[in-house]
Amino acid sequence: MSIFLKVFVIMVFIFLYSPIAVMVLFSFNESKSLGVFTNFSLKWYEKILANPHVWSGLYNSLWVAAVVTVVSIILGLMMALVVTRYNFSGRSILESIILIPIIIPEIAEALSLMVMYIFLNIPMGPMTVIIGHIAFDISYVTVVMRARMIGYDKSVEEAARTLGANEFQTFIRITLPMLYPAILASGLLAFTLSFDDLIKTLFTTGPGFRTLPLIIWSSAARGGVSPELNSLSSFALSISFLFAIFRLRAEKGAGR
Amino acid sequence: MSELYSVELENIVKRFGNVVAVDNVNLKIKENEFFSLIGPSGCGKTTTLRIVAGLEEPDEGVVKLHGKDVTDVPTHKRNIGMVFQHLALFPHMNVFENIAFGLKMKKFPKEEIKRKVREILEIVKLEGLEMRRINQLSGGQQQRVALARALVIEPSVLLLDEPLGALDLKIRQHMMVELKNIQRKVETTFIYVTHDQTEAMTMSDRIAIMKDGRIQQIGTPLQIYYRPVNTFVASFIGEAVNLIEGDVKEDGFMETRLGLVYCPESEIKGKAAIMLRPEVLEIGNKLKDLDNILNGVVQAVIFKGSYVEYRIEVEGTSFIIHKHGVTNTEKIYPVGSRVEIGWKRESSLLIPLD
Repeated sequence: MSIFLKVFVIMVFIFLYSPIAVMVLFSFNESKSLGVFTNFSLKWYEKILANPHVWSGLYNSLWVAAVVTVVSIILGLMMALVVTRYNFSGRSILESIILIPIIIPEIAEALSLMVMYIFLNIPMGPMTVIIGHIAFDISYVTVVMRARMIGYDKSVEEAARTLGANEFQTFIRITLPMLYPAILASGLLAFTLSFDDLIKTLFTTGPGFRTLPLIIWSSAARGGVSPELNSLSSFALSISFLFAIFRLRAEKGAGR
Repeated sequence: MSELYSVELENIVKRFGNVVAVDNVNLKIKENEFFSLIGPSGCGKTTTLRIVAGLEEPDEGVVKLHGKDVTDVPTHKRNIGMVFQHLALFPHMNVFENIAFGLKMKKFPKEEIKRKVREILEIVKLEGLEMRRINQLSGGQQQRVALARALVIEPSVLLLDEPLGALDLKIRQHMMVELKNIQRKVETTFIYVTHDQTEAMTMSDRIAIMKDGRIQQIGTPLQIYYRPVNTFVASFIGEAVNLIEGDVKEDGFMETRLGLVYCPESEIKGKAAIMLRPEVLEIGNKLKDLDNILNGVVQAVIFKGSYVEYRIEVEGTSFIIHKHGVTNTEKIYPVGSRVEIGWKRESSLLIPLD
């Protein structure tokens, strides 16, 4: 690799990660200043961890993401099976339609969800948030699953059939275990997407139901940028990071 | 009482859209027979095999296993074993789990599963590899696992779909001998699909040659090599073949572009071809005691080890000759030299042309 390329790569990484580094660094700053780092301190973290709103937000985010993940995996898996296994007219159109939610602006998705809920007169709360997340996470799950299934050798299932396994046994003992890495990878993706989501949640939640990103956002809206907010964001970041690491590991496992 | 066959196909037809993949196939495969289905790609041989397995449903016709109609019986209730082209081993299981899968599905007790797996591993010579993961095995070993997995359930018939295709030549040759030995040991009917006629010739008791979904000929390797029923079989089987087309004028004579030649006496009249295997042709300068002798020029000489291949042009027609027993270079005719080629009429075969 030439020197030029090395320098270029390093610059891209600085560009990508310096804002995050600054935010994390100043979350450990003792003083309230965002300009001068005075002393290392965990006091902002102590402060947010003592805040019951933060804990209830985290709890809400986690369980919403968990439900969204399970449902998205099931629906996405079925979707991917349909488009990779069966030949029918309109399949390619269906395949493109699945991808649309990935490319349309999130604000439009969020607004459309809200309009639909109001139109159908559905009271907003945790359920509407979950439905909103699922409706769009299915696309991502389907895309990841489909990519994995394209290289999938169908004769492995046929082999199981010749060995006396019926269709259900084949699905449970062969298909699912073989798709396990894809299920894990797409599940973690769905989880992180749901866990991080602000805009859709903001538009579709009801009174009193707040997720962690919502709490961060409203705190920023109220008091502007503060060290407390820094530490709160760093906290959310570290949770997302954890899942990203899981996902990378799962994908590495799938590549074996 | 009629003979009991292991597999019978009666008037099998299979269409994919407008394409007729299998066109009225009839087959009777005997108990413990090593039977091969061969033909060029797209001839319907794999589809035929999959119909026996129940993985494809025939549009017409009847499939029988041991005299019983199984046309509507699903794959998992047919008790057949199958070795797939890409082996289709279960990647998430080790060797033992792969082989035990069929026994587990058939609800054998644990102890018996262990015993049976041990026995079959001995037959395929994989003892001690039970706990290996599939990706830790060589190609040849994976081949044996696939074979063991299919054989351990003691299937009434073992179906093999080009199982040696992925192996390199040396292992393939070794596996051919091995497969035949295993077949004798386990006493099971094998149906072997391949496009490689050497594999089929090496192992089979009988061979069926397919083209465009139709069976062209069924016979022993010797029969299809020396008694092909048409020019397609003649050219498909064997390394090379010489075909001289012409008109049978009267019994024993044929008018060809090379003049009048002696041909075997037969019922065939009118348009026909004389088939000559490359090893039945003689080459020399003063050939004697042959019915047909033609003058030609050596176009190419290829030394193949155990024999020499000549390409000789006779009045615009090219002949391939395999000369065995060449012990020193003096006996090889160089390119450009004028030679005689000849044969006895009884070593040729007359094939009708349609």
